[in-house]
Amino acid sequence: MSIQSFLLMRHELMLIIIALIVLIAEIFTPDHKKGIITPLAIILFSISLIVGFLPAIEGNLFGGMYNTSSLIVLMKNILNIGVFIILLQSNKWINLLDNRIKISEFYILLFITLTGMFYMISSGDFLMFYIGLETATIPIAALVAFDRYNNKSAEGGIKLILSSALSSGILLFGISLIFGTTGSIYFKDVVGMVSANDSMMILGFIFFISGISFKISLVPFHLWAADVYEGAPVSITSYLSVISKGAAVFIFMIVLYSVFNSISDIWKNLIYVIAIATITIGNLFALRQDNFKRYLAFSSIAQAGFILLGLISGTELGMASVVYYVLVYVFSNLAAFGVVSIISFQTGKENISDYNGLYKTNPKLSLALTLSLFSLAGIPPVAGFFGKFFLFTAAAEKGYYILVLIALLNTIISLYYYLMPIKAMFINKSDNPIQTFKTDITSKIALAICLVGMVLVGFSSTFFETILKYCFGI
Amino acid sequence: MNIIIFYILAAVILIFSVLSVTSRRILRAATYLLFVLIATAGFYFLMEVNFLASVQLMLYAGGITVLIVFSILLTSNIDHKFEKSEIKKNIFSVLLVALGAGVSLSVLLNKTFNVKSNTEPVHVKKFGYALLNYGENGFVLPFEVISLLLLAAMIAAIMIAKKR
Repeated sequence: MSIQSFLLMRHELMLIIIALIVLIAEIFTPDHKKGIITPLAIILFSISLIVGFLPAIEGNLFGGMYNTSSLIVLMKNILNIGVFIILLQSNKWINLLDNRIKISEFYILLFITLTGMFYMISSGDFLMFYIGLETATIPIAALVAFDRYNNKSAEGGIKLILSSALSSGILLFGISLIFGTTGSIYFKDVVGMVSANDSMMILGFIFFISGISFKISLVPFHLWAADVYEGAPVSITSYLSVISKGAAVFIFMIVLYSVFNSISDIWKNLIYVIAIATITIGNLFALRQDNFKRYLAFSSIAQAGFILLGLISGTELGMASVVYYVLVYVFSNLAAFGVVSIISFQTGKENISDYNGLYKTNPKLSLALTLSLFSLAGIPPVAGFFGKFFLFTAAAEKGYYILVLIALLNTIISLYYYLMPIKAMFINKSDNPIQTFKTDITSKIALAICLVGMVLVGFSSTFFETILKYCFGI
Repeated sequence: MNIIIFYILAAVILIFSVLSVTSRRILRAATYLLFVLIATAGFYFLMEVNFLASVQLMLYAGGITVLIVFSILLTSNIDHKFEKSEIKKNIFSVLLVALGAGVSLSVLLNKTFNVKSNTEPVHVKKFGYALLNYGENGFVLPFEVISLLLLAAMIAAIMIAKKR
């Protein structure tokens, strides 16, 4: 093993180094100068973002515990873009006087959890997978409780850590059953020994799926999502619902396609049921929410259900459509969260009814939110439409017509609740609308990146074709 | 002889686990947990994996239980009794646990395991080599990433504890 082979791990190593630099900077900056940590973290992270895009070599390290390929690098870059947008969005909020003392902890934990997700995506065995998953979960619970003098925030943190402990327990039990049948924790050894006749293997696999489903908040493992999303600061909510969910979807797909491909009949049946339940329940609950963060929580549960449609097909197209959808989802959901976070920061209002008449006072923000909701709903001019279109194509190609039909009906339901805030902003009148205010520059840049991304990814076919080139089927 | 010890240990684990989750006083629950952890170490001794057994005794039974007891004494009122849970909830949780145990047991009991004939005790030296080995069956990467997790957890704890 030479020093060059560490270049394979450049995404993770860069993040660890940045986290350590921020840690050292925290020690040596006096309290009244803590403001310089933000530009430091953002600049360092943008360097790592750019380095991530440099051409990569493929291969594995540590005897197969760490894998990397062009597809995995692509996934990491998508997550990196998302985190960059979140860093820009959170700039103003984290520099508030109350939050300033915890500013470097915020960045360090964000970067270390991202490292955990990267190790999880790259893992070549169950041990690294599990450690990556935990690294990506435990510090987030503390971030959810960031605003701990607010009861809801503390409650969210406790709920997240307790329910994730339970799900980790289930996941570990599943892994131990798989280890018990195969005698190995390496994916490459397990592949050959997976068989549909071994009931202990299947049981372990089901427990394993439950553990990951918790992270993606699929129904029936979604109950933690709404409370945690509502309690957490907006930046952390968007981190949880976009980055953490995206990473879990990626590794779920890799494991299903490359490790458990020989029992695909079994997991296809499981995912069929979970997909229908997730889309329907997510949508039905989203209809009734007034708090914008809860509303986006249930909408993101439904979105995860749609992602399963691409996953179930098991084809190259299916995998490409999932990766593409996550890319689109990063832009559209972060745009929605961006607007919510700006308004929540300026006025403290987080309910949809507060948005009445927003178009009159803040037309630009209303338009941005409208576009992002259009994209989430899947209305043509923006990328969300193409994302859903590819997912449905992938599932229909394999003959899942009923599933596609149910998903289509649900899209119509979702259209109703995605249009509700738009109606509130443009049509509803309010005696006491949100005042006109100026948005800070970093949030504007973040919103601009999201909007450009949404339009560009939708209209330019190069994105989908590049993704398709790296993908593989069962 | 081994089989008798096995059943005794299993009984201890079962009884004290149930007591630990049903006890309404938090300090007692922690104490019951201690017995569960010690009995688990007994299992390891029975299987002659002495290193694992000593780690279990030192870390879990020794370290972690003490930590739990400390944190209970520092934060909560030990005389406090938890409310009795509703009967409906109890019935449902018992049913759910029975269902889960039933499914798992029916699978595990029908499985024929390959019994390993090699019962040579594993030398501690091997653990050391495996922990720092970067080839196949080496664990240096997980070892290092866990240290990262530990760092993050400590920073997270500091963040939550920080005063305004």
